[in-house]
Amino acid sequence: MSLEAAKKAVEYLENNIFDDDLGNPHFGATGVTTFPLTSKDFRPISERSSKRRLVFVDGGNQEVLGAPNFSIQLNRVYSCAWNGRNRVEWKLPRVEFFSSTYSCFKNNEIHYESSVMASSGESMDYLPDAPDLCFSSMERSLMNGNQRAGIERVGSVARRFAEWRLALKAIHDLSVGDVIVMDGTLQSNFKNEGKYAKALTSAAKARGIILIGLSKTSTLFTTTGLSLLGAVNKLAEDGQIKGNWYYPVAESHSIDHDVVISVARLNPIADRVFRVELQREEYEKLGRFGVEEIFSLLCQNSCDASFPGYPYGLIDADRFARVSYDEIEYYRGLIISHISKMGNGSKFLSHIHSGDAHNLLNLLVK
Amino acid sequence: MHKFAHISDIHLGAFRDPVIRDLEKQVLSETIEKCIELSVDFVLISGDIFHVGIPDLSVVNDSIRIFRKLQEAKIPLYAIYGSHDYTPNGTSIIDILETAGILTNVMRARTDDEGYVVLDFFTDPKTGAKITGISARKVGLESKVYEKLDKERLEHEKGFKIFAFHSGITELKPAFLSDMETVPISCFPKGFDYYAGGHIHKKSESDLPGYSKIVFPGPLFTGYGKDIEDTARGVKRGFYVVSFAEKVSEIKFVTIKGFDGEFFEYDATGKNSHEAAKELSHKLGELEVNGKVVIVRLKGELAGGKTSDIDSVELCRKLTSKGAIYVQFNKFSLTTKEYEGNRMGGDDISTIEDNYFRENIGSVKVNQPHLKGREGAESAKELLRILRQQQKIGETKTGYQDRITTSGIETLKISEELGTK
Amino acid sequence: MSKDELEIVGQVIGGNVAGIAIREKNGKNIELGDLLVAEENEGGYLILKVFNLGYGSQIPTEVRELAAGLKLEGYSAGLDFMDPKLRNYTMASVKGILRLDKNSQKIPKVLPTFFSSVRLATKEDLAFLATPPKYPIFLGQVRSGSKILDIDVHLDGESFITHHVLIAATTGRGKSNLVKVLLWSALDARKFGMFVIDAHDEYYGRSGVGLKDHQNAKSSLKYYSPDAPPGANTLVINLKALEPEYFDGIVSFTDAQEDAISAYYRKYKKDWIENIVRGIVIEDLEVTRKTIGVLQRKLRRALGVYEQGGELICDSDIFSLTAGETTADDIVWALEKCQTVVVDTSRLGEEAELLIGSIVASKLFYSYKKSKGKGQLDEKPPVGVVIEEAPRVLAEDKIEQGDNIYSRIAREGRKFKVGLIAITQLASVIPTTILTNMNTKIILGNEMASERAAIMNSAAQDLSDEDRTIASLDKGEAIVSSIFAKFALPIYTPRFEDFVAKRKKNNKDDDFDLSKSRLSVK
Repeated sequence: MSLEAAKKAVEYLENNIFDDDLGNPHFGATGVTTFPLTSKDFRPISERSSKRRLVFVDGGNQEVLGAPNFSIQLNRVYSCAWNGRNRVEWKLPRVEFFSSTYSCFKNNEIHYESSVMASSGESMDYLPDAPDLCFSSMERSLMNGNQRAGIERVGSVARRFAEWRLALKAIHDLSVGDVIVMDGTLQSNFKNEGKYAKALTSAAKARGIILIGLSKTSTLFTTTGLSLLGAVNKLAEDGQIKGNWYYPVAESHSIDHDVVISVARLNPIADRVFRVELQREEYEKLGRFGVEEIFSLLCQNSCDASFPGYPYGLIDADRFARVSYDEIEYYRGLIISHISKMGNGSKFLSHIHSGDAHNLLNLLVK
Repeated sequence: MHKFAHISDIHLGAFRDPVIRDLEKQVLSETIEKCIELSVDFVLISGDIFHVGIPDLSVVNDSIRIFRKLQEAKIPLYAIYGSHDYTPNGTSIIDILETAGILTNVMRARTDDEGYVVLDFFTDPKTGAKITGISARKVGLESKVYEKLDKERLEHEKGFKIFAFHSGITELKPAFLSDMETVPISCFPKGFDYYAGGHIHKKSESDLPGYSKIVFPGPLFTGYGKDIEDTARGVKRGFYVVSFAEKVSEIKFVTIKGFDGEFFEYDATGKNSHEAAKELSHKLGELEVNGKVVIVRLKGELAGGKTSDIDSVELCRKLTSKGAIYVQFNKFSLTTKEYEGNRMGGDDISTIEDNYFRENIGSVKVNQPHLKGREGAESAKELLRILRQQQKIGETKTGYQDRITTSGIETLKISEELGTK
Repeated sequence: MSKDELEIVGQVIGGNVAGIAIREKNGKNIELGDLLVAEENEGGYLILKVFNLGYGSQIPTEVRELAAGLKLEGYSAGLDFMDPKLRNYTMASVKGILRLDKNSQKIPKVLPTFFSSVRLATKEDLAFLATPPKYPIFLGQVRSGSKILDIDVHLDGESFITHHVLIAATTGRGKSNLVKVLLWSALDARKFGMFVIDAHDEYYGRSGVGLKDHQNAKSSLKYYSPDAPPGANTLVINLKALEPEYFDGIVSFTDAQEDAISAYYRKYKKDWIENIVRGIVIEDLEVTRKTIGVLQRKLRRALGVYEQGGELICDSDIFSLTAGETTADDIVWALEKCQTVVVDTSRLGEEAELLIGSIVASKLFYSYKKSKGKGQLDEKPPVGVVIEEAPRVLAEDKIEQGDNIYSRIAREGRKFKVGLIAITQLASVIPTTILTNMNTKIILGNEMASERAAIMNSAAQDLSDEDRTIASLDKGEAIVSSIFAKFALPIYTPRFEDFVAKRKKNNKDDDFDLSKSRLSVK
């Protein structure tokens, strides 16, 4: 019975998805100029030697203890530096901090108030400003559909702000022409995020540092309903485009997202392509040659056999920024122990139980 | 076909007793007469013609008279030194006899440029037999000569070859001489036709790989120490006559009966001294001893009384009165429960002395390494032998003292320390 | 070099007492068998030994396999692993073997400090081994992996010998070389007798460097051979010197044959063999002609003695009717004077070889036993009996057929200061009761798992983790497991010729020329 239904589900897609016509890039937002998809516009990336350094920035976070009305999260951001295939000495610390958020009723609505606590002295300079982490639970940028944003979403925001701040600090240790690669888009998505993004882009411009955003995933589409990255990849296959390439698909002209968006394949045998954003002004300043040099550096860094085509610097940054489950368990134990020492465990426990039925169910079902 | 007589270990002068001395002389005379009778082409004596390096002149005199018969029969006499008729200061009775033309010393040794000992052959003019050999030194020293011997030269020599030596061979050592210092056969040159041995007081003929006809005649008369006991028991004494042309064709032992002997052993275990004395006297009385050399060995542990309670002098007198020509009592193996004393194991004086020196040499504090351990014990024994030498007839007291002192110093190799060189 | 300057080779990252995990610093090439040091806070330190090596990687196995496939099949297009030093590394499994501080050396009961660095052990760390015992027997130098440290390993000869030694290895791993070095050392000490049954004539040095080149050889070395070179002794044993018990476990006799032998020995003592060979009948003895016939054949096979035309003939290379009356006594006497006696049995059949050994070993053993009875054993030096291919006499099936002097020495010899030094390729066939009595085991390379197991199971220390290490031992490398050592010592025994040359040089023996070390024969 279920097999039949599964087959029918597949056939439904088969009958409705057509990739003969790839269409053109479709961006819903205003201020974005798209470029048509043709096989002639693939830009090859040849091997170039360069002294530019690539600094990769990434972050991670996990909730340590949470309830609908409070959340303690462990946040971590990390950076590393490379020159092509070679790791370069880099002294910026791994930043780690807790963000502690609670809900309150303000202005006729539930608000979330937060504070941040650095794990060590050297992390202090990289923390986001606590007031920037205070949101209404109905803040559009945090909401999921029409549902009130969960309090745990604040953690993701804190981590994102810290990434911007780390990248900003990194600029001081870089030279003209060096590159910072952020994991994800250069676009500000959250309230108050623009402050951090702007600080970084201004500083980068002043110092001649090139900013790049590289996204592992993308929800961009074409005008025929296909995924944009998939369409470009197919176009390359059909056109037998060999080697490494990039394909500029759009330019965004908004104040907080002034970038050229490309799709790039960074290794000849990679089966994945990625969205790469580069500051528009820098893109134009660099010219074709300079842009190719930047991409070439990325390609050289994307030769790791474990994930061909994806910059190893981001793998490395992810590894050290990631917050593991084991760590969470450890800290949870500490926190719960401290709660019980304070003698007010019931205050927290009843609220925790109001939100963890799902977890319990998971255990029972297993 | 040629013949030679191979004799060794005559030990003339070993016994002081005049009866035994006389028998000794008779045996030598008989031997020489036998050699003449058998028309041997030459006589070879492998050492210890005399019991000491400078014997009593009367003994020498008698021996010369007998050896002269060989000269008269135109039978050459060849010899090497033994361990007894060798003196540390180099001149011994053998040298004198050689000077007098009585015998020829066939050890012709020299050292080559590389330090090897080269032995030249002496060729018997009549038979062409080539004879060489190594004389004895103070006990054990000849082994150093063997170590440096140029064997290859000897082995390559053509012709009928005889190697004369006066040492024990390790591989052929009899069990009762297990403690004796010997030379391994590998030190001897291979391929000789006959190895004329001396020093071992037991007759034997042996072959070893690479060495055929290694012959020890044993003592001609009765040696010394325990040997007389064996002779009295019936062990045959004599010499070998070897027939040869290009090779040895026959080796024959010629027995010379020195005396009629009677050996009696008495075990006194469990008896008190008086009981033992009485019983012994009775048993000895039953023996037929007329004209015989009688050796009495007493052994065992007396239950009581002293060993001296058995009056060997009286018993000796009794036996002599019954016609025994010579009586010897051996009480070294007799002990008593009553009196332990400082007993030293051994069946005869020589063995007892050996054991005593070996066991006590460690208590003597000396700096010279050659006076310690086994070598030291041997030196002590040699010194004792020297000190036992009597003053010769006609020798002054001073001369006697000087001779003994010089020999002793030579034996102990301490002339440098004493500044006497 | 100060301890701070000493190179770090790894870091403790986990594990437990049975196996501490250490990550190797890139390029340091930690070896199996390496001795490492983890410093402790109070000035003490732990010595660790590497017993296993493995790969560690941050990259999942399937990813590695895929990457390898891409490379092998030519699809790699410049792909490699970035950050190779960080992501792929060697993991060493180590075990604590000794814990040292200023005052003591103990078996460790603690783990090294977590995340502490480790370094290679140096000569200074092992300086406590350098103090030689009273009567040292040199076995080699301390080895860390394949590196040789300048520390001599000695065991006290007196104890080491009398508590028995097993030298185990397959062919070509350096057993003979080790024994030569050991014997040379015994000649240095001159405090023990060594009786060596040399089945391959390799110890004396007939045609090369050997024991004959030792400065004490003249006074303290005796060599017996059927074909003795100048100065050495001919190996010959008189038939009258043989007693029935010397044949135990060497020549097998039925009960009837043994009864007959006993009767002949009782009646004829030293002439028992002659009378059997001549077929002399003993009255009142019920023994069949067939039994006598079989005995005659066995004696002919073992000793080369038979009757022909009324004459007794012995055509053996080493047994004789006339010579060799005192050979066995001479050897025992020499051993009691702390001499080394080497008997060349290379030209002999197995039976004759074992018989020779049995004769001397029996005489020695019973002489010492008697001395103990008289309270005189203290005056006698310890004596070691060296026998090759020990299973010929110590294997379980051999002992079941009948005890022999070697197994007797293995079981009782210690009480009488007589020790066995058994050399074998097959330790597994030797009964555990004997193996465990052998309190020093010198283990050289062995590819056979069953053999390694047999040795490890009876060793003085826990060698359960040394399986791979033993399998990887190269020529000259060994592990000494002894009750007289604090831990299983990894050693390297130098090549004998080099060892001798060095000793001679140290002793300023200007006349010694290795190339001319042949017997000087003229």
